[in-house]
Amino acid sequence: MVVNSVEFLFFFVIVFLLYYLPFRSNVKLQNIVLLAGSFFFYGICEIKMIPLLFISILVFYFIGIQIERYRDKNNVLTSVFSYLGIVLGIGLLIYFKYFNFFIESISSSLTAIGLHSNLHTFNIILPIGISFFTFKLISYTLEIERGNITASHDIVAFSNYISFFPTILSGPIDRPGKFLPQLAKFRSFNYNTATDGCKQILWGMIKKMLIADNIALFVDPCWTYVNEQSSFTLLLAIIFFPIQLYMDFSGYSDMAIGVGKLLNISVAKNFNYPFFGRNIAEYWRNWHMSLTGWLTDYVFMPLNIKYRDYGVNGSIFAIILTFVLIGMWHGASWTFVLFGLYQGLLYIPLMKSGAFFKKKKIKLNKSGYPCFKDFRKMVFTYFLFSVGLILFKAPSLLYSYHFLHAIVNNWSLPLITVSEWSRPVVFFGLSCLLIVHEWNHRKDEYAFSAPLFIKSHFFRIVFYYVVFAVVLAFAADSTQFIYFQF
Amino acid sequence: MSRSEIFEKLNEIFIDVLDLDEIELTDDTSADDIEEWDSLSHIQLIVSIEKTFKIKFSSKEILSWKNVGEMVDCIESK
Repeated sequence: MVVNSVEFLFFFVIVFLLYYLPFRSNVKLQNIVLLAGSFFFYGICEIKMIPLLFISILVFYFIGIQIERYRDKNNVLTSVFSYLGIVLGIGLLIYFKYFNFFIESISSSLTAIGLHSNLHTFNIILPIGISFFTFKLISYTLEIERGNITASHDIVAFSNYISFFPTILSGPIDRPGKFLPQLAKFRSFNYNTATDGCKQILWGMIKKMLIADNIALFVDPCWTYVNEQSSFTLLLAIIFFPIQLYMDFSGYSDMAIGVGKLLNISVAKNFNYPFFGRNIAEYWRNWHMSLTGWLTDYVFMPLNIKYRDYGVNGSIFAIILTFVLIGMWHGASWTFVLFGLYQGLLYIPLMKSGAFFKKKKIKLNKSGYPCFKDFRKMVFTYFLFSVGLILFKAPSLLYSYHFLHAIVNNWSLPLITVSEWSRPVVFFGLSCLLIVHEWNHRKDEYAFSAPLFIKSHFFRIVFYYVVFAVVLAFAADSTQFIYFQF
Repeated sequence: MSRSEIFEKLNEIFIDVLDLDEIELTDDTSADDIEEWDSLSHIQLIVSIEKTFKIKFSSKEILSWKNVGEMVDCIESK
């Protein structure tokens, strides 16, 4: 059940009504409704994994209370329970997501050196959303251990934090310190927050259904039928993909945040106009922020603190290791490992030259847009990111090699016909215009509202309905959200 | 060293490391208040503070600070 489906709409209307209407000012009942909705939603998506989610919640609820109980009193037991939480969280991920990858890697390494291997992979079903909810579980453990939060003694509230239905499948990855306090008090319906949420959902639908899905009509076949595409077409597919990915994933994030606002719950921000980054560091600072923020706090910072006496080289080591983990978080494949490594390596020139530390504001021209020098840097950064995404998009290292090989050798093949590519190119052009539009709204949370010249409240509402109708009319056949696979 | 002297030295370090024109640190100042203060410049600040005050922080101490006031408390305790 995807967020932009009719089924979700029916489901959400029921949850929404039960959430606000019959249980006025009763926070416990409101949280129970939310939890029932979240488990129903997860059950519809992955019924077999409900026990796993339920047991994980119970175990980490217990661990959290134990860490708090012994914190500042018994360092050994605090560490034992903290490590237990970390090991169980990472263990869940390793078993469900990486176990077969390790077996395959060991097996192929043994074969490569001429040894016979009897290792076999297991039939392990990957629970949907596991990368997201295990990171929440680990975050909860570490925040209690660091003394930043107190353990939750409300199992319903804690369960809601882990299983919150708008974010369980694809994030953003909320932090307990900001999320749990919201569940401690009754959320009354707030008209302004709710309408803001509706606008953000509509903005997400524009990005996902109108832009990403239409660009996918061009990009996805290019990747499926690599040998039949000309080099030029494949290059276009590389250039188009970051926009598709951004519109897809940030569109989902906008919808999740918007649904949260309808329930008067604030969800973490995930994107902050990344295409205006002038180097890879600025880019990543604003891309999938809830994941990069998580890894910054729990991996990069401890590593960087530990190796601080090695100066820039210590920081480079911490950055590269963090990015390899960011890559691996996306999936159990060498393509993702190399994707992360590539992103990490791009930091080296920045760190060595000192450019990383000089945070200069973007220079604007008379029209209020970036000056040519900064614009050039943005385009170059986009290009660097596009190249890295070959590894992200390719199903295997061999396939990414085939893709690059086809780019070099397929210059003689005919271009795809105008009728085949006119629609995606139109939507790519439209998405470029949307990014210009984002520039004009870069200080806002999201870049969408009725034009200011429409003063009447009635006509502003009409405007949103017209946009909604346009999205439905021009939406491509819905494709799965790219980040659901993680 | 008094608390105000620590603040004075910290001001100098922050201006130098973060390349700022001026800054007035208070107990409540945190990374949210200074755009240039990110995860990487944080480490540079710590290295510079350790050199200036000739002290060494533990990882646990560094990770526990929520604002400048807690950082100063930690320096005072050394």
